[in-house]
Amino acid sequence: MVKKAAAILLILLFALSAPGCGKNEKTRYDAQFLQLFDTKSELVAYMDSKEEFTDFSNLIYNNLKEYDHLYDIYNNYPGINNLKTINDNAGKKPVRVDKRIIGLLQLARKEDEATNGSCNVAFGAVLRLWHQYREDGINDPEHAQLPPMEELKEASKHTDINQVIIDEKASTVYLKDPEMSLDVGAVAKGYATEQVAELAEKAGYSSALLSIGGNVRAIGEKGIHQELWNVGIQNPDLGSEKTSLTTVLLREQSLVTSGIYERYYTVNGKNYHHIIDPKTLMPSAYYKSVSIITRDSGVADALSTALFNMPPAQGMTYIESLSGTEALWVMPDGRIQYSSHFHDLEKS
Amino acid sequence: MKFIKKTDFFILLAVLVLCAGGWLFYQQEYGTAAAVAQIYYKSELVETVDLTKGVDRRFSIPQNKNVVFHQFSDGSICFEESNCPDKICIKAGRLRTVGQSAACLPNQIILKIVPKNGRNANDPDLVIG
Repeated sequence: MVKKAAAILLILLFALSAPGCGKNEKTRYDAQFLQLFDTKSELVAYMDSKEEFTDFSNLIYNNLKEYDHLYDIYNNYPGINNLKTINDNAGKKPVRVDKRIIGLLQLARKEDEATNGSCNVAFGAVLRLWHQYREDGINDPEHAQLPPMEELKEASKHTDINQVIIDEKASTVYLKDPEMSLDVGAVAKGYATEQVAELAEKAGYSSALLSIGGNVRAIGEKGIHQELWNVGIQNPDLGSEKTSLTTVLLREQSLVTSGIYERYYTVNGKNYHHIIDPKTLMPSAYYKSVSIITRDSGVADALSTALFNMPPAQGMTYIESLSGTEALWVMPDGRIQYSSHFHDLEKS
Repeated sequence: MKFIKKTDFFILLAVLVLCAGGWLFYQQEYGTAAAVAQIYYKSELVETVDLTKGVDRRFSIPQNKNVVFHQFSDGSICFEESNCPDKICIKAGRLRTVGQSAACLPNQIILKIVPKNGRNANDPDLVIG
């Protein structure tokens, strides 16, 4: 009797200490690449086989590549009209473009209207100046300069989003002002991420995590034990022992962080980052980083830039007005502001 | 009368198994994972660095001597030197946590932290920022 009880106890204990053994579980695969959107991309997925993961990676990569070419403002590609084609034809004529450009610009305009001009894709004239001075400053740090305010103010006269004429039926875009240009850096990666994630879902993939330049989109949940995806948010204080501010749990959601601690250049000992406030025409000074969690990756990307350009109280009011959307702001002194239900998404 | 009865032996064994099971469970749920750094060049894994050995050294990968990594004895690693213009790889700072990664786009190098002995439930799938 005692023997039997002991044997049963042992079997039970062994069974408990080896969770998952013997189950037909999916395997974790990952991949990374640097070729698209001038950024680092990572894919993680739980799948049945290496072949399935290769097919999935190819689907994501090949489609993202098309989006990358369509949203490029610096290079031409044979046989396609992209954003550079639209910019080159500013003040000249409407350009017939792919629906994927129309969709991006419509989302961007909607988000810009909702945030009182805090996410303006017609801001290219100003951003181009900053880009040029930043590139020159990075290549020749001793002679790094800020763009003169007179030039910035002159450029800002050519940033009216209402001069961007989108004809959805004809699938054309026309920039009425010959001096204006589009720059979709604030929303393009997120929008493309959302579109390829939806394509993957339609193709039947149900357990993957995409990060396209930090635009994270969760497809389903992990393939094991119905666990949610764990994504850490980097501490902007890179010298700190605490590498992540927090870890959030995602299922069918997107997360993006806009930060200022990597993309910047230095003029007279002061760092100037790449997110430009449309009100001051200077790098936005409210935060070190802003993170957004919401369903749609394109919306998340647009919101993270818009919020970067809003004072804390205004940003909080705006986020609280949106359902299913949470935000985390890191102030210049390191203090953190959370939207009211952000903690519900954190890993305890 | 024997010093150890058969039932005592089973109880002892059960306690040991319970302890081992508890320790495994704790490691799975809360343990700090030992980490290794993977270095990818042109999407190929070219070097794996054990970060748990308390080693302090600077090194390059054979495929690209223009980039220098620094492995620290505290278990972190970083891009220390690079001939790229923007130095974004260096600005990424020291990496130490599973899920973190940094890249040098002009040199096509990715530095990525992964678990050493299998993934536990506490490991982030990614760290972004």
